[in-house]
Amino acid sequence: MDDYKFLFKVVLVGNAGVGKTCLVRRFTQGLFPPGQGATIGVDFMIKTVEVGNEKVKLQIWDTAGQERFRSITQSYYRSAHALILVYDISCQPTFDCLPDWLREIEEYASSKVLRVLVGNKIDRDDREIPTQVGEEFAERHNMYFLETSAKESDNVERLFMQIAEDLMKQARMTNVPRYDPNNYNVDPASQDSGCCSRLN
Amino acid sequence: MALNYGMNLILGCCGCCSAFRPRYKRLVDSIFPVYPQDGLVKSNMEKLTFYSLSSPEKLDRIGEYLYQRAAREIYRKKYGFVIIAMEAMDQLLLACHAPTLNLFVESFLKMVQKLLESTEPDLQILATQSFVKFANIEEDTPSYHRRYDFFVSKFSAMCHSGDTKDVRDKIRTAGIKGLQAVVRKTVSDDLVENIWEPVHMDKIVPSLLFNMQDSSFHKEPPHGDTIPEDSVDPPMLAETCMRELVGRASFGHIRAVLKPVLRHFDLHKSWVPNEFAIHTFRIIMFSIQAQYSYTVVETLMDHLDENAKSSPTIRTSIAEVLSKIIAIAAGESVGPSVLEIINSLLNHLRDSVKNGTIQAEERQYQEALINALGEFANHLPDYQKIEIMMFIMSKIPFPLVDNQTPADNMLQSILLKSLLKVGTKYQTIHFNTTFPVSFLEPLLRMSLAPDPEMRLLVQKIFHTLLDRHGNLEKLHKPTLNIVDSDLNVEKSSRPDLIFINKHGPTIYDALYTSLQMDSNTPDNIEAIYTTLGLLCVELASTETVIDLLQLLLGIQNLALNSTTLSYAQKFNLHALVISLLVLISDVMNIQSLSDYSSRLIEARREEASYCLPEMLTQYPAHCESISKMPHLLVDQMAVCEYLKASGIDPSRLAQTSPYGAGGPGAIAGSQRHSWMEAGARGSIMEIPSVHEVDSAASSPGVTRKLPEEGLSFESMKKVLSEPPEIRKESEAEKRKQISHTFRTATFSELVRLTQPKHDLLQNKLNEIFKSLTTAESSSTTDDPKKLSKCEESFPELFYY
Repeated sequence: MDDYKFLFKVVLVGNAGVGKTCLVRRFTQGLFPPGQGATIGVDFMIKTVEVGNEKVKLQIWDTAGQERFRSITQSYYRSAHALILVYDISCQPTFDCLPDWLREIEEYASSKVLRVLVGNKIDRDDREIPTQVGEEFAERHNMYFLETSAKESDNVERLFMQIAEDLMKQARMTNVPRYDPNNYNVDPASQDSGCCSRLN
Repeated sequence: MALNYGMNLILGCCGCCSAFRPRYKRLVDSIFPVYPQDGLVKSNMEKLTFYSLSSPEKLDRIGEYLYQRAAREIYRKKYGFVIIAMEAMDQLLLACHAPTLNLFVESFLKMVQKLLESTEPDLQILATQSFVKFANIEEDTPSYHRRYDFFVSKFSAMCHSGDTKDVRDKIRTAGIKGLQAVVRKTVSDDLVENIWEPVHMDKIVPSLLFNMQDSSFHKEPPHGDTIPEDSVDPPMLAETCMRELVGRASFGHIRAVLKPVLRHFDLHKSWVPNEFAIHTFRIIMFSIQAQYSYTVVETLMDHLDENAKSSPTIRTSIAEVLSKIIAIAAGESVGPSVLEIINSLLNHLRDSVKNGTIQAEERQYQEALINALGEFANHLPDYQKIEIMMFIMSKIPFPLVDNQTPADNMLQSILLKSLLKVGTKYQTIHFNTTFPVSFLEPLLRMSLAPDPEMRLLVQKIFHTLLDRHGNLEKLHKPTLNIVDSDLNVEKSSRPDLIFINKHGPTIYDALYTSLQMDSNTPDNIEAIYTTLGLLCVELASTETVIDLLQLLLGIQNLALNSTTLSYAQKFNLHALVISLLVLISDVMNIQSLSDYSSRLIEARREEASYCLPEMLTQYPAHCESISKMPHLLVDQMAVCEYLKASGIDPSRLAQTSPYGAGGPGAIAGSQRHSWMEAGARGSIMEIPSVHEVDSAASSPGVTRKLPEEGLSFESMKKVLSEPPEIRKESEAEKRKQISHTFRTATFSELVRLTQPKHDLLQNKLNEIFKSLTTAESSSTTDDPKKLSKCEESFPELFYY
């Protein structure tokens, strides 16, 4: 339960009410909390998954979408390994805001951060953003793309597993032997060099 | 899972057989009871503690093993055992000392993190408590590789907990305490993690503010004056933590704290209304190390810069916050930082004026800035106030010509308002310190500004700076019953008399000139009454009185002879003269003069009540000039008599007044040669005479001799052929130029301008004196001759 090989920080961003918290809850606790209130500031969850017989620990920081918390949420981008940018496929404005979010990510997050675009709420009938539009947008901006439903649990597991796998691949490729605070890349927690590096 | 886990243990190959287990493991196992609700087995815990003390090299293994047990219990959701494991770790941590502690701490922190990662609020709170305990112990060897960003991140997240009310407060409290602990742990040691990095501060500061603003900060603390350390009220705790954080910040770190504060206010729209912002900044100002407090002011001012495009309401709010805290900074500000702050405030004012829009909000913003300036100045020592006033003065745009843009005008009046604000905070002791020449001169020059509003402001500045004995209220309006108002008069000191001897003429002259302005309102004239009244009260001496009376007669002449002033203005001037006469005789306690003025008042009341206060802008049509009724006027000879009778030498007064029609002759016989030498007289003489020309020029039938008008055939032809409008225009232009020169040129320039003429005049006079066979020279009798002689040689100097 604690002998994980990798620790990755994943941060979810996107407009208020697109379902960030629900995605996290669905993934970490397997439930869909109806009537979930707006997140205040930042929420934190942890989940350990197994990728190819290796344990990977995901620290998931779920940020508030509301504008007024922008200052605190931005401070969490910096150390993220992966950023999940979420929009609501049934709500055009949440999609229109994506360029703003990207600009913010550019400004505050590490340049090597893994970026994933997620269109949430595919269980709804009143879709406003066709899949293709989302796909094209993701392609243009060099992001992964996935459509999910936290309610129906569609693609949620796949989303996080994909991220874990990708980050692990990255980590293996770069093969950073030790945690480097100036380079918020991947963080293979090496068992023998003490345990402190896992505290990050 | 448990089995799988056991395989990973370093020594254990058989997790179930306790007999072969190492001693430390058996000791650890023995502290756990069968049922978690029984709590830690105390006696066994003592054994474990003793063991780890006697063989500290095992401490790291004990820690690791405890951690693993706890992790297993968390997984099984047997939280009772987790709590026991944590308790045991706490006890070991406190019981054991360095140097082996370092390794134990690693597993200890791992344990804390593990608990924080769980979703169980109780475990999170427990973990925080343990972390606080850890933060409070002293480690003698720093651990360079230990990082705290998980803790900062997690504690900040806890500060924003959105659980149900009860749990929420507990978690938030824990989060704040955790942050406080991290700060305490890291702040003192430069070698460990730098907590002041933006990456941390951007989390800590908003988290604290978020909790603070949630509160009822304006309410009184619930019980008594002291806030208990373990208060469960998150806002209170956050505030305490904020104070601590700010208090520990060194110069280089202040901005790291302030930036997120400002951002937070921007994002949470806490500027309007600004109670919370004021509250927070007060906290910051009171907790910050005093020598850095001006940095806060600076930062806030920079923020104002950044908000230049925001709505005026936001800027007003920020400026208000500034004015609320600026006083706290003032006490500590020294040297250049003071002027920097003032300069910055003035720049903001200027920018605001340049924006041009004259909205109510924009004006409020300017008011707020001026208030801030006043507040700041209020808390500075007096000698700095003078400096500041001079500084502001230097920022007022010159020249004061008529064709200014409205923005210039507005800026001038706003700066004057700021000056007034600072001035009201200043307590004059000696006039020569209050009015250094470099301050007095520009101020006098400003008193001749074309805009009557501005002149009024300047007079108000004079009032507040002149009034040392609280007489301002009593002298606010011209009155004839000054005796009733019980003036507070004190004998003036020598330095003051020296001051007035030196600068009096310049001051009187400026006042006199400003009375000649045809744009004066009764307010302007009343303000001048107040200024003169204050001068009289503050500097009562025989010398001053003569000067003042001389000025009074000059003013009366002006009222009689001026052709530019309206009737109303002339009546106002008469009222001014008589009320000042009353005041002077009262202050100097000259009974005969007092009686004389009473008689005059009586007479005027009967025949020309419009020549008494109250001053009006409009008088009934039937009022006519009192020049035809000499018995209503202040008579020079009479005044001289009364003065002589009360033992004051009126000889100076008997001479021709330097104001108005008086020529250089008045000086020739004057005892005060110093005036001439100082050159001050020159300007005094010239400015009135310019205006005399003005009035002469506009009245028909008077011969004019404007310098460019030679008496050639050409010019005569021109006079005849040209329509009179053109000529009038050119005259007006000329007049404007002259008055412009005198209003804008610096004092020394004026001196230079006028000095040589006097030299020439002096030479000429000497020549004449020599050539005259009658050796004794009584200046009064010689005057016409001299003048005519001079006029021949220097027609441009003499227009009459």
